[in-house]
Amino acid sequence: MPFFMDTDKLVTLEEAAGRVRDGDVVALGGGLSARLPMALVRELVRQGRRDLHLVGSAHGIDVDLLVAAGAVSVCEESYVGFEQDLGLAPAYRRAAEGGDIRLAESCCVTMLTQLRAAEAGVPFLPVRGVKGSDIRRLHPEYAEITCPFTGEVLIAVPALSPDVALIHASLGDRRGNLHFDKPYVLDERFASASQLVIATVERMVSTEEVAEAGVTVPAHLVTAVAEAPFGAHPTSCYPEYAYDRNHLRDYVAAAATAEGASEYLAHYVTGAPTELAYRKLVGEENLERLTGWDKSTHAWKELFA
Amino acid sequence: MTFTIDEWFVVTLARTIKDREAVFHGFGSPCAQVAMHVARHTHARDMLLVEGATYAVNPEPEFIPPTGNDLALQHRAVYQLRFEEFFDAAIRGDIDRMFLSGGQIDAWGNTNVTAVGPIERPKVKLGGGGGGCNLAATIKNLTLWTTRHGSGRTLVEQCDFVTDMGHRTKEGTRTELGFTGGGPEWLVTELGVFDFPQGRARLRQTYPDVTLDQVTDATGFSFEVAGDLKHVPFPSAAELAALRSVDPLGVRRQEFSSTELKRVFEHGSGASCAC
Repeated sequence: MPFFMDTDKLVTLEEAAGRVRDGDVVALGGGLSARLPMALVRELVRQGRRDLHLVGSAHGIDVDLLVAAGAVSVCEESYVGFEQDLGLAPAYRRAAEGGDIRLAESCCVTMLTQLRAAEAGVPFLPVRGVKGSDIRRLHPEYAEITCPFTGEVLIAVPALSPDVALIHASLGDRRGNLHFDKPYVLDERFASASQLVIATVERMVSTEEVAEAGVTVPAHLVTAVAEAPFGAHPTSCYPEYAYDRNHLRDYVAAAATAEGASEYLAHYVTGAPTELAYRKLVGEENLERLTGWDKSTHAWKELFA
Repeated sequence: MTFTIDEWFVVTLARTIKDREAVFHGFGSPCAQVAMHVARHTHARDMLLVEGATYAVNPEPEFIPPTGNDLALQHRAVYQLRFEEFFDAAIRGDIDRMFLSGGQIDAWGNTNVTAVGPIERPKVKLGGGGGGCNLAATIKNLTLWTTRHGSGRTLVEQCDFVTDMGHRTKEGTRTELGFTGGGPEWLVTELGVFDFPQGRARLRQTYPDVTLDQVTDATGFSFEVAGDLKHVPFPSAAELAALRSVDPLGVRRQEFSSTELKRVFEHGSGASCAC
């Protein structure tokens, strides 16, 4: 929301995640199996963050891992899961069914509208849908409003300015200029509606290189930036690498029980004190395989077969 | 030529698309995703295909990957809509059709993708509705589908939670709520096809290996049966070829149980044209 004027925002991953406080409303960038800010998510778990209120559009292992680690009190995404491929999100499902998190399920359009209100500096904006849906029951803050011009009754949704947005990008510079490919999902909106924007990038490069690739989120919106190679793993960060379907499948199988989820966390997250240690656990050969998606259609298909 | 239920089902979904429609599917919907490409390669060559979670316009994927947000789905797309470009168009009413499914679907075409059981302590927390609770209000026509009709748990008298509104809920009808889209037009299941005259599901077609009693037993609400109840038209050779070419990994099969996948069919003599 405010502009960030520092000319050097390069920090370590530990410092970057350290900007998130217990109880924050945290916006998660990316979507489904792509460009989720996983290095930051893992670091938040290592640092023992608690009571987070997550917002986002369609999410998967990022939310599930934070919920499994007991870091979350409220979930306000529009979807959490692994699609038809791997099914429901195990830890999220368990926590929801056990009443351990508050379900504030939202809708992509509603959230987009709420962020736009924050960006425009107005207290609310209307949406035409939501009526007739029980989603409204999960949001007592939504109100009805009569249009002063047409008399139409619409649903007014309040401005949403997350305390912090976590975004993972392909390229970035020390100033905080970020480049990443489409689909941008809500990342651009999160970047300009949030109080703080914490970014990780696959590669830290010169300003000229980011400019040449195209600036997706400009430096003045970014608070801090850390370098985190494979920072979206096991989700994809094209053109660098495809998503690691085997790892995701193993995660979903492990997280089917609370014990299995704890073992996953103990092995891959708290048991790997740094991202370098995490990459070693995942295996360099395996990561290399994911970067080979563009060798041939056959090679790409093989990753998902 | 033999074909399986997943293939026939996808072709049936594809046929709900009209040429020159702008069509969208949600993520986690392999059958709808493949169906859109089948339609674009057969009877709806000039449709505007908006690919699920990538918002790519008219891509030509070499294969359908198992996730809705993968670069493979943007292959050869000349343009990828931004997130807000797509949702603005949908809310304005410029998108003609969307595919929607649900863990529960009722007679009015309301769908539940949020939770089975009470929302405070659900029996099953489902994934969630994505953009549905707004999109279902304004997109012109909805094609609903499920591949779990036979379970007896999917088509229900009343959804435990209405994520996406169909033709009518406790709050009123679409007209009363000021919705600009037409609501559910078709409900395609692995047992048959329903339409929605006066907003309520009516059985129009069944697959030839399914009896009316089977459909009734598997359906939690009472439904009218069309006077001219027919069998679902056979897939053509062109449709099957398009389908097999676009989905070499068979992601569409993820939506079916292994028992269902054993349903194999053959064009009988005098069956519909195989052109």
